Amino acid sequence: MATDKELSDFLKSAEKRAFKRTVYAVRDEDAALDIVQDSMIRLAEKYADRPVAELPLIFARILSNATLDWFRRQKVRQATLQNFSDLDSGGEDGDFDPLETLEAVDGNWSAQGPVERLSRQQTLALIDAEVSALPPRQREAFLLRYWEELDTAETALVMGCSEGSVKTHCFRAVHALAKALSAKGLKP
Amino acid sequence: MNPQTRSHRVDADALQARFALRVASRLSEQAESLPHDLSERLRVAREHALDRARQLRLSQPVVAAALVTQGSSMALGQPPSGWLRLASLLPLMVLVLGLFFIQYLHDQAEIHAAAEVDAALLADDLPPEAYGDPGFVIFLKQPEQ
Repeated sequence: MATDKELSDFLKSAEKRAFKRTVYAVRDEDAALDIVQDSMIRLAEKYADRPVAELPLIFARILSNATLDWFRRQKVRQATLQNFSDLDSGGEDGDFDPLETLEAVDGNWSAQGPVERLSRQQTLALIDAEVSALPPRQREAFLLRYWEELDTAETALVMGCSEGSVKTHCFRAVHALAKALSAKGLKP
Repeated sequence: MNPQTRSHRVDADALQARFALRVASRLSEQAESLPHDLSERLRVAREHALDRARQLRLSQPVVAAALVTQGSSMALGQPPSGWLRLASLLPLMVLVLGLFFIQYLHDQAEIHAAAEVDAALLADDLPPEAYGDPGFVIFLKQPEQ
């Protein structure tokens, strides 16, 4: 059973990521704050007696459900489904290797001059924008898998799909991000 | 899958994971630099959620203690809700309705029996007035010969 402090520490560590994930989904900061608050309350009320190790997965599920509820309430389900259909229009070209963008990346962030700081902030903002521009399911899979650090099975559980689908979404998301960032001359 | 292909696949997976984790790390940096007002609102939301959890935890021992101190008298530690009151009245209502139904069945049986007697009397060759005649009653009481 999670103590008050453990629950507090967990929420503190997760709240900003949860907020950003929700903003990506709903595109509205106020709505995202409401959703995150509702999710935190639901977690604290219903699942505070669960072991602290289970909290990340439970919170991810609560947040996903709360976001979906928000969409239902907003009656934009049609728009969401439209976005989901983007998954099928992958258009992958076999010759492009997005992973080339990984080369010679490290070391760029150690410089802390004003120009470098500004450049860094702009880069972060661009990465943020590219993640935001991913199709919803790809983005959700990518963020749950690599940002929330859930494993493939847990991500599949939260998303309500198979592990194979999670892997496909993640692959496409990574591919799309690498391609987009590479096109802008960025290396994360 | 031959070893070379498998090795290539593992490398691709590892590169994908490295790239993704690097992007995720940049996202974390970006998230850490949220505007102050948003951070504050998140903090308030978190404290609100923790307060609710604390209240819930505090209320549970009270209920448990009430149950213990009340022994076998089945006290819930809180005033019963409207639904609970209604539910407790339900057996009484069923009993009263059952009694009314039994009374109704009894009345119906009596009416039916009386109707049968009346019908038998009316259908008989003997006129009903004969039963009012004292001589006929004495005749009926005499043993058959």
